[in-house]
Parts: sequence; C-alpha cells; structure tokens
Amino acid sequence: MSTRHREWPVALGLAPVMLLILAPFAWLIVSSLKTEAEIGQADPYAWPADLMWRNYQDAWQIGGFGELVGNSLLNLAGVVLLTLLTCAPAGYALAKIRFPGREWLFYTFILGLTIPVQAIVIPLYQVLFGLNLVNTLSGIVLAQVSSGIPFGIFLMRSFFISVPDELIEAAKIDGASHLQILTKVLLPISTPAIQALVIISALSTWNDFFLPLIVLISPEVQTLPLGLVRFASTYASEYRLVFSGTVISFLPVIILYILMQRRFTEGLTQGAIKG
Amino acid sequence: MINRETPGSSTVAPLGNRSAIAKTATVEAGGSVARRFDSHDTGSALWLMAPALVLYAIFSLLPIAATFWLSFNSSAGFNTASSFVGLDNYAATAADPIVWQSLWHTLLWLIYHVVLAGGLGLALALAISRLKVTQVFFRTAFFLPHLVSLAVVGVIWANIYDPFYGLLNTALTELGLGAFTQGWLSDPALVLFSVNVASSWQGFGLYMLLFIAGLQNIDHSLYDAAEVDGASAWQKLVYVTLPGLREVTTFVVSLAMINGLKGFATVFVMTNGGPFYQSELITTYIYRLAFQSQDHGRAAVLCILLSLLAIAITLVFNRWRARLSK
Repeated sequence: MSTRHREWPVALGLAPVMLLILAPFAWLIVSSLKTEAEIGQADPYAWPADLMWRNYQDAWQIGGFGELVGNSLLNLAGVVLLTLLTCAPAGYALAKIRFPGREWLFYTFILGLTIPVQAIVIPLYQVLFGLNLVNTLSGIVLAQVSSGIPFGIFLMRSFFISVPDELIEAAKIDGASHLQILTKVLLPISTPAIQALVIISALSTWNDFFLPLIVLISPEVQTLPLGLVRFASTYASEYRLVFSGTVISFLPVIILYILMQRRFTEGLTQGAIKG
Repeated sequence: MINRETPGSSTVAPLGNRSAIAKTATVEAGGSVARRFDSHDTGSALWLMAPALVLYAIFSLLPIAATFWLSFNSSAGFNTASSFVGLDNYAATAADPIVWQSLWHTLLWLIYHVVLAGGLGLALALAISRLKVTQVFFRTAFFLPHLVSLAVVGVIWANIYDPFYGLLNTALTELGLGAFTQGWLSDPALVLFSVNVASSWQGFGLYMLLFIAGLQNIDHSLYDAAEVDGASAWQKLVYVTLPGLREVTTFVVSLAMINGLKGFATVFVMTNGGPFYQSELITTYIYRLAFQSQDHGRAAVLCILLSLLAIAITLVFNRWRARLSK
C-alpha cells in the first residue's frame, strides 16, 4: 500500500493525544514521590527535589496493601479456576450434546447475561447471609463466578460449536465418554477460548468493586480496589499516601499487560465479540 | 411444551438442531427421556451442566425471582419480618422525585458514555489502524486506562478534580488558563459529566480494540477499487470505512450502553451521588436504599426497572443487528 509515508506524520500527531490520555498516570507517579509540602505547592509540572520512596513504604504498611494484594490474588485464583471448571463442561453440553430442555436452558442463561448484578443484589446478599458466606472470600468467589457463568458458557459454547462434529463422532466410535471427549479432544485445541476466558474473568475479578463492597465488610478480607477506596477516604488529607497507594493499586496490572499485551488484546477482543 | 421461535433473542448463533429440539416432550425430574434423545447423552449433559447450573440457580436465578417477591413486600431491613403490601412499593417509587432524577441521570450517563468513550475509541482506531510500525505501541498505550479498576479510577479522578491540588485546576492555572478552573465535582451542573469523563477514560480502550478488529475485517479490495476511481481520503472514509464498520458500531454502542447502565463505582467513590443527588444514578440509589436506608421494597422496584432497561437495550440492539446482517 501507498500509505507508508503517512506513518510518521500520523504518529507525531498522536503523540500529544497519548500524553493527554496518559497524563493521569504520569502525574500520580510523579506526585507520589513528592513530599506533602511539594504537593501543597500545587505545581503539576514541578519535579520532586528528592524521590520520596518512603511514601510507598508508609502507604504499604499503613494501608495493609500486602494483605489486600493477597486477598485479591486468592479471589482471582478461585474465580478463574471455578469459572473454567463450570463453564467448559456446560459450554460443551450446550454446544455438542442433544438433550431435552437445551433450548430452555440456553434462554435462561441469556437472561443472566442481560440482567446486571446490581439488580439482584438484595436477595443475593440474603442468600450469602443464609449460607454464612458474608464477609468471606468463598462468598465473593461464588457470587462472582455465578454472575460470570452466562458469559463464560456462551464463550465456550460458541467456540465448541465451531469444532467439526466429525472429530467428536470419531472419538465416540473409539468409545470415549463425553467427559473424555471434552478433556482429551476439545480442551487441547481450545487454547484461544480458554485464554480469552481466563483473561476476562481474571481482569474483571481483580477490578471488581460492587460485589466486594457488599460482601466483604472487614478490612482483613477485603480486596485491593475496595481496600484502596477505604484507605483513600481514611487518609484523604495525606495526599502522598493516597497517591502512592493508588499507584500500588494500578501499576502491577499495567506492567503485566505491557509484558503480555498481545495475548491480552486477542483475548479481550475475541471474548467481547463471541460472548 | 411447544418451542416457539423467540424473535430478537438471537444474541449468539442459533442452536444447531433447533427444529429437532422443538416439539419434544417436557423435561421431567431425573432426566426422563423423550424418544428423540439418547438417554446416555441426556445423563452426561446433565452431569456436565450440573456445577454451572447449581451455582447459577442459587446465586443468580433465585435472586432474580426473589427480587420480584421483595418488590411486593415491605421490610425494615435484612433478616426482619416482611409483609405483603401489593403495589405500595411501586406507588412509593413512582412518587419519589429522586427516582426520576436518577433515571434521567442514568440516561444522560449512557449518552455521555457512548459519545465520549465510543467516539474516542472510534477516532483512535481510525487513526491507529493505518500505522504499521507504531500501531502496537499506540494500541498498548491507549489501552492502559482500561486495565484500572473503576473504583481506583474514581480515586484517581477525584484527585485530578481536586479544586486546590488536583491535576486539572493546577495545570490550567500554571498554563495561565486560571479562568477555566472549576469545582468539577461540586458544581451541580457539571458533576455528572465530570464523573462520566473518568468512567469513559477507563472505558474507551475496549471499544477502540473492537473498532480496530472491525477495520481489519473490511475487504481491502474495496479501498483499491476506490483508489482506482480516484476517491479522496475523506470519500474513502465515508463510503468504504464507515459503512464497513456499521455492524461493529452497533455492537459497541450496545456494549457501551449496557456498561453505562451498570455504572456505579466512579460515582460511588467520587461523589456518592452528590451534591444534592445531582450525580445519583439508578445503581447508586439502589445501593443507598438497600444498604443504607434498608428500604428493600423500593430498592427492589428500582432493581426491576434496571433489569427492564437492560433487557430493552439488548432486545432493540439485537433486532437492529439482525437486520444489518441480513
């Protein structure tokens, strides 16, 4: 194509746009290394005289970020694992097995895909309370897995549908059970779908705020976004702590993304289109 | 149970053997089998569906049903006795001016989000998609805000909008534009828009990725043909690119509307609906009624309203998309 010569003018034009869009990150990172007095000068273009790494130590300790990160990781691992364990078999059954009520089940899941979790939150809280799951990580995991199940099932189902029936018939003739077909034939060729499901459920769990806000009441069980919000409102007048705590909350995921951006991009795009 | 084709609900490709499934007998307990189904298959399917179905029934279907029940009952809070009150909660909800305000704010919120986040996503996708060397770099950079939790985005932007130390007002002042400084979150006329900017900053990245994927699907020979015909860059955009993006655009708009409808965290963190309910959304008002005022009946009515809005948006856009793909 003849568009190659346009590359650098367009890139040059995009640079200021990028600076503007990423300015919040840059400002937070720079400000998080300032002293309280320097922040008080209210000059966003000024550089800190000394880089105050101590802000991070203080925020980490006072905010209990170690515990928050640990809880978030446990939360994420539980949701991703359970999502795969529930959605892959169900997606397979809906895609490739003929059974009575399949159509009906399909529409039931569409209902769940449509209704926002905020719209069922009162009885959801009551159910969790009845099962003694309020204020526990197991409770938040189960609630999040359930609210992600319709999406996960559709994603896996639409992938399995694209697998030719002959592959499954051949395995059946060899005497494979449905579980064996799923684990030995389908899952090994399902990397794109599994990757999409893992990335989407991991990211949405890591970033979830609404369900943790309802379910996780005491600080020891809270996850990172919820803990940061509590921390930021408790220490609202100490900007250096709020800024460094905020950077702690967003930087790890951003670094992880930059390292694996191709997989993230593929997974998120595929997931959004197929789900 | 005779299966009826339900128009408008074909979000995903229709089931393979739809006609074969139609006209089958009811599902009975224990998976009793109609003639056309292999009993072994049915048993396996139930086992494979069971884990998902059990979780989904307890934590999603039961709450959906219970929300209706709650809306017809009065209750003074969690774990208290409740009594049937008919349509009282519906009447009280309709008479509550804050409900109408929050509904209006939610609709504005949707429009802002579609225009800001969808528009920025489209503009950046168009700009980036022609790049070869730097495309991945810009795509990665522009996507970064989408990785941040909306709650963290709320904390970030509450600080950006801080009237004295925030990035926005201090940057404007330093640039000699002090006249443009605002109480971004305290001005009732501005607050909803300001908070929405924060949400849209987080949201546009995904829409940009979807538009980029849509652009890659446009048949390249169309551009070659347009070039042969001597089309200008503008004509190519209007006659080739935008029509080619029609399907992905409807998808992005519907996704942005649903995401907007679910908007909660940024408002909760930045303003908690204030000042004077000027940034109250349906979702934040549900939270206030359910978990602060303990008025479950009225909260449940709003929950039903929220669900109906979500269903309406989904149905309208599925119709629209079905018509486009014909």
